Amino acid sequence: MTVRIAGEALNACSGCEISFLDMGERCITLMETLQIVHLPLLMDSKHSGITGRDHSFDIPEADIGLVSGSIKTDDHFHLARAMRKACSTVVALGTCAGHGGIPAMANAYDNQEIEQCFLSTISTDQGSLFPSAHVPALMDTCRAVDEIIRVDHYLPGCPPHPDHIFGLLTALAKGQDYDLPAKSVCSNCPALRNGKGEVVRLLRPLDLPAKASPGTGESRNGLLCFIEQGFLCMGPVTIDGCGGNSSLARCIEAGVPCRGCFGPLPYPGDQRLAMLNALVSNGIDMDSLPETRSLLRFSGGHGRLTPPFGKKDTRTDGS
Amino acid sequence: MIPRFEPVIIGFLCNWCSYTGADLAGVARMQYPPNLRPIRVMCTGMVHPGLVMEAFDQGTDGVLILGCHPGECHYLEGNKKALARAGVIFRVLEDKGINPERFEIQWISSAEASVFAELVTRFTQKIQKLGPYSPLPRQAYDTGIKTYDRL
Repeated sequence: MTVRIAGEALNACSGCEISFLDMGERCITLMETLQIVHLPLLMDSKHSGITGRDHSFDIPEADIGLVSGSIKTDDHFHLARAMRKACSTVVALGTCAGHGGIPAMANAYDNQEIEQCFLSTISTDQGSLFPSAHVPALMDTCRAVDEIIRVDHYLPGCPPHPDHIFGLLTALAKGQDYDLPAKSVCSNCPALRNGKGEVVRLLRPLDLPAKASPGTGESRNGLLCFIEQGFLCMGPVTIDGCGGNSSLARCIEAGVPCRGCFGPLPYPGDQRLAMLNALVSNGIDMDSLPETRSLLRFSGGHGRLTPPFGKKDTRTDGS
Repeated sequence: MIPRFEPVIIGFLCNWCSYTGADLAGVARMQYPPNLRPIRVMCTGMVHPGLVMEAFDQGTDGVLILGCHPGECHYLEGNKKALARAGVIFRVLEDKGINPERFEIQWISSAEASVFAELVTRFTQKIQKLGPYSPLPRQAYDTGIKTYDRL
């Protein structure tokens, strides 16, 4: 019996689908048991909604639905629901689908500001208007997929590692469960930690070269904890696993601090809150960060990122 | 007559000073509004900002953190840590669109029962003036799934 896969990209960059292809030869192994019935970004299958003929999405019935990207327009909304209807198991593929991801940074602004920004760049013609026809309407916020439909499995990452995509698909094909680690990047970090460090202010990424040598081969042992050196590293508040099955976190391996792309740990589930808490608890001045909202650059969904208080916005706390 | 708004206020009180101070206020039969729900913690330094945000997520109208006076912490530096963490709470509240006035950190020693009663009265009045906290209204979509159907 073949297991049928359908996939759709919502507010996404197609990176997750590229990561799917990055499985390489394992794709061929997978295709012995799996069959892709619908995946517009990789296959020649379209739904009629995209051609503008009607507003329905005729997605064929499938066992596994891979949904990547977050939800910001009415189109995404209907597409996500159509995927839920067509697929018996829905996988939120990537950090956008699971936590909002990069597109959810739009949640720090309201739609008016976004449209203004879109229309008033130097290269924009004067007097242009935001299109009202042939373009789906914007929703008020950018949401993670599980705010709209029920999601059965999450595969975080920007993009998810091919190892995990392969592991999840083979496990689902056999009817098994697949669990990702729920530990922080620090739990698997090779860097030397000598205590809390003496840093009071954070350094900008280009202020100083890191004392550590680039993390290759044996010199990885010389890697020092980035936070101890004063570089902002999201490792303590980010789920581990971006290196796939065998290797270390990818950014750490390359000798740069973690950016937080695998999304937040279960508690408190808010990368900004947890990161700021970790910084101030160790005596690092929070004001040495130019702004803090970008700490939610990968997890702004679920109402975590909103326009700040006191801004003229109807959505903020009325008091 | 419109019933007066009775806010729900969560207080994280340190075991050694503020909780004892609150206890003393009770023993001395001092009058203060019953809106405060005290939670005894061993030290205010252990109150993770996530707990405060969780309280707001679950619909509290205000949060108080009450600890020992600076320099009098039972664990030497716990209240310093609490103060640093309070800075994070103020910043995140503001960024999340919640009025930062809804949160306060204050120092109450175990002998300052009257100060405690006064503080709770003042804070309750302040929250009553601000009105109930309602999380950001978001556009409602008929998602076609029942609430219990979600993960």
